[in-house]
Amino acid sequence: MTITTGTPPKPGIQPRPGTSLTLARGLVTGGVIGTSLAALVVGAVVNSGPLFGTGSGLAAGYGLLCFLGVRRQRDREAAVAPRTALAMIESMDATTGEPSDVPVRFDLSVVPDDAPGFRVEITQAINRVDLPDYRPRGVLVVQYPPDRPWRARIVKRPTPEWEDRVAGARLDTVPGPAVARESQEGCSFGLVALVGLLLGAAAVVLLFRADLFAQDTAALPPSAAQPSVSVSSTWSSTVETSASGTVTLGPGQSFLDQGELRRAVDSLTKGRGTRQALTVVVQDRLLSIVFTPTPTGTQALQFDPGSLPYERFPALVQEAVTTLGVHSPQTWQLSVDRLTGSLTIRIGVTGPGGSASLEADGQGRVVRRSPVG
Amino acid sequence: MGWHGCLALWCAVFGALALLGYGRSLAGVTRAQRAVRVTGRIERVREPRHGSSGSDGIPVVVSFQDPSTGQEFTVTNDGEHGDRVSTAWTGREIGIRYPPGRPHAFKFTGDLQAGRRGLGGPNCAVFLVYAGLVALAAVDWGWPWALLGFGGPWTLCGVCYLPQNASELSRRIDTLSSSGGVPGRVVAVLRDVRTDEDGHTTTSDTPVVAFTTHEGTAVTAYCSSGLPDPAGSYGRDVTIHYSPADPAVFTADLAAEHRSRTSDLAWGVVALLIGVAALVVGAVMV
Repeated sequence: MTITTGTPPKPGIQPRPGTSLTLARGLVTGGVIGTSLAALVVGAVVNSGPLFGTGSGLAAGYGLLCFLGVRRQRDREAAVAPRTALAMIESMDATTGEPSDVPVRFDLSVVPDDAPGFRVEITQAINRVDLPDYRPRGVLVVQYPPDRPWRARIVKRPTPEWEDRVAGARLDTVPGPAVARESQEGCSFGLVALVGLLLGAAAVVLLFRADLFAQDTAALPPSAAQPSVSVSSTWSSTVETSASGTVTLGPGQSFLDQGELRRAVDSLTKGRGTRQALTVVVQDRLLSIVFTPTPTGTQALQFDPGSLPYERFPALVQEAVTTLGVHSPQTWQLSVDRLTGSLTIRIGVTGPGGSASLEADGQGRVVRRSPVG
Repeated sequence: MGWHGCLALWCAVFGALALLGYGRSLAGVTRAQRAVRVTGRIERVREPRHGSSGSDGIPVVVSFQDPSTGQEFTVTNDGEHGDRVSTAWTGREIGIRYPPGRPHAFKFTGDLQAGRRGLGGPNCAVFLVYAGLVALAAVDWGWPWALLGFGGPWTLCGVCYLPQNASELSRRIDTLSSSGGVPGRVVAVLRDVRTDEDGHTTTSDTPVVAFTTHEGTAVTAYCSSGLPDPAGSYGRDVTIHYSPADPAVFTADLAAEHRSRTSDLAWGVVALLIGVAALVVGAVMV
């Protein structure tokens, strides 16, 4: 059986409609991504819940729309039955070095029964063992969607009917060029999407520029502002964020000095409502408090840092240093948390001979001693 | 939005998705319910080429009829068409499903009844809601609730699965042991080589055996277990024990089946013990 082609045919492919629609889709997609991202960032910076929510909702809604659109398009494409045709290998180029399936670039002359022939270039993975079956001028079977012939693929296991046709076929070369691929649209789509992204982001920033740039840093909540740092006249420094606060004393001072600890804690909590803490850690000249992110979060672990028995702390530290058998103690650390359910104050002491610890309850009463050794 | 808000949103979203999925299933409009399911027949079987890939399945030609048009279709398992055909003989029935009106988008399936109601998605959403509730309980009441939340369903699944699996394995071994062996031969060893991102290469060798049953059925099948040194097994003669009711149930090594049963049961017991341990520890710590 010989199948020949007549006059050199046009590829038989209609130009893809809706190129401008595709570009418009790219612009909208980029715009939505830029707008929603900018809304999320600006919403977080200016502490605007509605703006943040709008950004999230826009991204989620458009993502859902895209998902449904892509799914519908795929359904539409899948509804078109593929066309099967004989094809001849004009040339092929196999990539070397692959251990099993080798990507091979084929230049094919495709000769359908009921449509003009066309040339197409495809790349398909062929198992190394099967490679000898493919050679220039060899005839094989391909399948392709009639409206997207550049998506042709070689049928490795044709039906008996097509096997018989391959066995008796001799095809002539179809003059080129190869049919255009849709990927040529990809570059302009990406460019337009980038423009849309920048426009969307710029629009949000411009709309909220007053809030963004006229924001008084002092009025910002700690989460949106830089960590606030203050240095007092007695050489102590305070570093605060929304999640933690640290007070460092200068040389010659100690948190065991009377009232020093209470003052430092008050400086971190006063004027900010009821700030709940997860841990309070005290060393000789360092106080660190980790606050809960929100007043309602992790209720089982949080406690009010202002309610601790600070007046008992020096005595507890003194007791830990002197009664637990740590000779020449070098460092101590006091920590408060509710990890075990009830409020626990732990004092750890470290010296050359080892470490020891002492535990007290929320009222400062000693409940456990773990001496050295 | 705190932990509670996030987890509540998580549960609400997946709960709504689950309800939507169950509603669609009740209304009979899920993709799985609308799919056309027919039984095809294997018309021709070829031995795969020695050294080729095992992912393509055994080359078969299958015919089926579209019930809506009455049209006959003859197809092959070329490309991505559902489940891999790993055991084939001429005349064997094989499940085929496709969206209505699109027989060209056919998929082979080993079990025509599986997933008929399209409840996979909703069930997955319910699982995610449950995971969210367990996380919520763990945050509010302490981490032992996470152990209880994990251990409860895990143990329940283990209790249900273990006896069922044990009896199924016993039945399989009894069937295989009772049938007389037939001679078979490794007609090909299929090799798949995969290289990961770090450049590590994994090679998998799958022997293909061909044997003829006492009833005269010529079977070609992947034999992924039971053969020592699978890479060097090409051309080896083997004795095949099979189930006369379904030659797809076969083995080339009865002793390996016994060993496999023991290890299967051991793993099942270990998994069950993990669940029970989680339950006990969780209950003690709460």
